[in-house]
Amino acid sequence: MDFKQFLKGLQAIVGEQNVVYHSDDLLVFEYDGSVDRGMPDAVVFPSSAQEVSQIIKLSRRAGVPVVGRGTGTGLSGGAITPPGGIQVAFPRMNHILEVDTENRLALVEPGVINLDLDTHVRKFGLRYAPDPSSQKACSLGGNIAENAGGPHCLAYGTTTNHVLSMEVVLEDGQIVNLGSLARETVGYDLRGVFTGSEGTFGIATKIAVRLLPVPEAVRTFLGIFPDVESACTAVSAVIEQGIVPAALEMIDALTIQAVQKVSDAGYPDDAGAVLLIELEGLQDEVDEIGEEVEAALWDTGATQVRAAEAAEEREQLWVGRKGALGALGSIAPNYFLVDGVVPRTQLAPVLAAVADVSVKYDIPIANVFHAGDGNLHPCLLFDERKPGALDKIVEAGTEVLQICVDAGGTLTGEHGVGLEKKEQMPLVFSTDDMAAMVLVRDAFAPANSLNPGKIFPDGKKHTPHAHPAAPGMTI
Amino acid sequence: MELSLSDQLARLLGGNLVSSGDGHEIDGLTPQAVVRPVDRLQISEVLSWASSEMVSILPRGGGTRTGLGNVPRKADVVLDLGALDQVLDYQPADMTATVESGVTLASLQEQLAPGGEFVPLEAALCERSTVGGILSVGTGGPLAYAFGLPREWLIGIGVLNTQGVATKAGGKVVKNVTGYDLNKLYTGSLGTLGVIVEASFKLLPIDPQSGALLASFPSLADSIAAGRKLIHSPAAPMGCHSVTSGVSRHLQDSVQAASQDLGLGEEEIALTFAFFAGRAKATGRRLEEAAALLLAEGAKAVQRIEGPAAKGLLRWITDVPIEISPSSDLVIKISVQSKSAARTSAECGEIIFSGEKPEQIVDPGFGIMRLFWPMPLDSSPSGADTTQPILDAVNQVRQVAHRYGGSAVVEQCPLPVKRQIDIWGDSPDSLAVMRGIKDRFDPSGILNPGRFLGGI
Repeated sequence: MDFKQFLKGLQAIVGEQNVVYHSDDLLVFEYDGSVDRGMPDAVVFPSSAQEVSQIIKLSRRAGVPVVGRGTGTGLSGGAITPPGGIQVAFPRMNHILEVDTENRLALVEPGVINLDLDTHVRKFGLRYAPDPSSQKACSLGGNIAENAGGPHCLAYGTTTNHVLSMEVVLEDGQIVNLGSLARETVGYDLRGVFTGSEGTFGIATKIAVRLLPVPEAVRTFLGIFPDVESACTAVSAVIEQGIVPAALEMIDALTIQAVQKVSDAGYPDDAGAVLLIELEGLQDEVDEIGEEVEAALWDTGATQVRAAEAAEEREQLWVGRKGALGALGSIAPNYFLVDGVVPRTQLAPVLAAVADVSVKYDIPIANVFHAGDGNLHPCLLFDERKPGALDKIVEAGTEVLQICVDAGGTLTGEHGVGLEKKEQMPLVFSTDDMAAMVLVRDAFAPANSLNPGKIFPDGKKHTPHAHPAAPGMTI
Repeated sequence: MELSLSDQLARLLGGNLVSSGDGHEIDGLTPQAVVRPVDRLQISEVLSWASSEMVSILPRGGGTRTGLGNVPRKADVVLDLGALDQVLDYQPADMTATVESGVTLASLQEQLAPGGEFVPLEAALCERSTVGGILSVGTGGPLAYAFGLPREWLIGIGVLNTQGVATKAGGKVVKNVTGYDLNKLYTGSLGTLGVIVEASFKLLPIDPQSGALLASFPSLADSIAAGRKLIHSPAAPMGCHSVTSGVSRHLQDSVQAASQDLGLGEEEIALTFAFFAGRAKATGRRLEEAAALLLAEGAKAVQRIEGPAAKGLLRWITDVPIEISPSSDLVIKISVQSKSAARTSAECGEIIFSGEKPEQIVDPGFGIMRLFWPMPLDSSPSGADTTQPILDAVNQVRQVAHRYGGSAVVEQCPLPVKRQIDIWGDSPDSLAVMRGIKDRFDPSGILNPGRFLGGI
């Protein structure tokens, strides 16, 4: 089948207006949130599982790889299309189908935006806990593909802990259900292994997620520290008291400077680190534990401690953290973001080693990270217009990952392997480990025609493209 | 002459690690040998031998749930993993631990306690239940409403495949999306995909204060309705259970003092059990508000139990299914959407087998319930065949469970019944994918053959 015929076939399934194939229209689909790009031959907007199934069947017959795309906020190249491939995107499948307050669950289509779901269910005193920093823009379908995290997954777990069931379309066009609305299911936990499979097992077309009650009280603390080491000591001091905060976030000196350049978040210019701690629970708990947290912050060398309980004031404390990545544009035109994870106790030594990498390569590195679960986000800042800059960045980034792995950690905490880290997989997994993973993919998608070329090393060195540091970007 | 399996194993590992399969009968099949390797290398040798000789292997932890599963197609060798019982790495400040799969839950909790932490796994007979066994079964316990299932806490796993080759997934960090999440696949796979030898967990701090409430209600339905109200209140417990009088009679034996005030021993009293833990003040407030709520919802009496006694009660509700099962002919575990727990319980409660309604343990927050039909006291020596009546009861329960979007697993039934059913119930539409995984992981079908869903 030639491309023209193939296009006609796609149009017959979803209607002419729901297939994009002119190069101008395709431009926005060339990127996601990472440094990679790849132009799809077409992008299709289905309105139902049946349409997704037909699209996949037609593509299989035509030998065209299919990539599911959420909203393109991913940070590992997960939605980048291989040559000759098409994308299936979900702007038309963006409905919240049901909110069941008695059972505390919501049934949604994959195109629903994470924050829209959370905002909607809050009307019923409920919340959707996983909150990737891109939650204003990212979709539930994409969250499932990447097993998205977020600041509050410290206490509540990541996407996988909140997905109950899904309807998915497999590579052969079959529509099957994984998991169930009941909490214990029989058979293998296919819903569990599908979550985080980066679009290589199938495409989710309906998703049931668990909702949690909104806590009675929330209190946010912001501690200013002279340096990252003392802020890390504060993190340990809090954890050692048997406290698991809802969120525990940190930004370092370079990030603080960037934030202050863009807008006044109220941080002193000479601050070495800002630590954010959020507590949730009964008012009694928040009061009692809050006192301990505050004392721990002062004891470990905080120069300032602020606390807030009203929503607006808490939001104010979060402003600097949430705007951190966008603010980095005030320091350098581009950044390369690393997503390594280390055991919490290794935070301080690993950050010191990352600082050494910064000196060695003469690359400024800003750190914005989820301190509670040891998930680092070193941002390597550079200017792509300088010859060789990007190569140097990739080399330094790999060195940072090696440091994380050596400290007992891993390559990615919440962004996924995608294209970006596939060649680094052997740092963590043996050939046998990866072979077992591929066996599972073979059971779901034997022809490997869904989002091929991701996750596993294939020797194809992908050449990243620099991504401009844009104000809207978040981690 | 060909060597017996037992002799072949003895030649492979040495005779002192191999014993007879007598006493390890599973569904009428007596394995030829039990082998208890002392390290991974030996397990690996057993597996690669078994693969080449097409010998079926039944991995075993503490042996507390060996009855769970369909009748095996073959039961050649029991692989006892109890000797791999070490905690390999525990860093309190990281709130993670890495352990060998044969460590018992009780021993693990004991070793974590000095660090002020625990692993949120739950299992009956925790002195015998092993981490590997708990993961293989994959189900939750009395506090599943708070902790969920073992899948939520497993962050890394080490598995020997059927060739004896070591593979791993996940890692030792609490947040990890590097590679496919095979942790989820192995958890709840009943040992059919590989032999779990190592596991890493995310831990929680031990709460300084715990407390429990016992409340008596005129009926099970009243108890469940009150439980639903309770879990949706700010005073929500970590777990809540409603039990019938036949179940609470076992409590009467173990907690005399509490039972008198609650009026136990009277006919048809249902009991609500709720467990709370946290900081002292908040726990106190929850206990107080929850007690008031239960009384307002029609409790005849409410007992507040604090400290170690509360943990004792938690232990009781964890273990009581094991106490009741031996005197039951049929035990079924149902999982439905939690909002349907009351209706499911009511409808199943009317299903009569040999003149008896089932005893029940219902978790109205998590949507899990266990039904126990007692053995007929006057089981006539003429040996009237109970197979058909039990099959009828199973079918009726399944119809109810399906109506409420759930499933019903037959945990215990007479062998003639078991031979005629899939104890896991009807296969989901994703069974072909499950089979595809099994066939790729275990092409010769040597691991627990036939015991899992759909004969996997």
